[in-house]
Amino acid sequence: MSFPDGRFPVPVREDMATALRRSWADIGRPGTWWTGPERVAIAALARAERVQRNEPPWSRDRGEPNEPLPEKAVEAARRIGADPAHLDREWANGVIAEIGDSHYVELASVVVTTVAADAFCEAMGIDHEPLPEAEAGEPTCERPDGMGDIGAWVPVQVIDWKRANVARALSLVPEGVRTFFRMVVAMYSGAATDFEKMVWDHRPLARPQVELLAARVSALNQCFY
Amino acid sequence: MLLRASSDAVGAEVDLSAAVEDAADGGVEEGAVLTAFAEAVVRATNDLEAARARALETLGPEKFVEAAATVGIFNGLVRVADSTGIPSDTMMLERTADVRGDLGFNRWSGAKSSGVAEAPA
Repeated sequence: MSFPDGRFPVPVREDMATALRRSWADIGRPGTWWTGPERVAIAALARAERVQRNEPPWSRDRGEPNEPLPEKAVEAARRIGADPAHLDREWANGVIAEIGDSHYVELASVVVTTVAADAFCEAMGIDHEPLPEAEAGEPTCERPDGMGDIGAWVPVQVIDWKRANVARALSLVPEGVRTFFRMVVAMYSGAATDFEKMVWDHRPLARPQVELLAARVSALNQCFY
Repeated sequence: MLLRASSDAVGAEVDLSAAVEDAADGGVEEGAVLTAFAEAVVRATNDLEAARARALETLGPEKFVEAAATVGIFNGLVRVADSTGIPSDTMMLERTADVRGDLGFNRWSGAKSSGVAEAPA
């Protein structure tokens, strides 16, 4: 089991630990478009690049290439993992032209799940969780209906959408949404009814404290959204 | 911006420049401890251990875990937005129109996705 009891130096809420365990296990499973070994390779690439984020890209140690992934997927895992402020539509279009929009979105979902868990471990002062064992099996290759163009680089859900855009950014791959946003609910937002309140009583920190952290992390990453 | 809205809700006046300045408290309780902690994690600086210890001592274990969780998950959320080019929500753009330019947000790459990009300084 990942993130076992006793892993953390101070107690972590059970719902948060459970979300981390479930999402971490998801990384190793066959996804919608990538196999388990491919998903673990994506996570490994993102992690290895991100830990060198203070080095310029051209001087990072990348070892010998042995990933079971297309070249553009390798590049995407690294760049989303370590250099998110420098992505643009032209670059994304180039990656998507080679691997496809669904593969790109699933890759992003694996990277963001990995980075969030790794950053949490760094904040807690513990080693990164070992990557999960890759499971055998084939991707489901299910593309959802109801996708459309709202000006993002990838299609997103457009039917009956009333929530924040970021919550539908990965909707081309619903499994990726479930994996990452399970952690979002446990580590930030709580249930939808909690998130809508500006005064929080479901978290130990006051909401302005949480949002100050959110704003600072976003700004440090030069994230406009 | 939810920082301003949540501060308004409790009758507090927040200084939004805390989002872009080092170790600023923004008028938020324990704000300087929180921002210093976030900066040390994101930048992987040598003072991370000290910033973490100060956060744990100041906040106590329960709040410290929440702070660590927020820092962790937002490192993922920013990548969701920036890897997909998702446009900002209209309401958020309207509510931040008065401060985005001064704080430099409109010069970041992701501003193009929302049609408000300014040339980098």
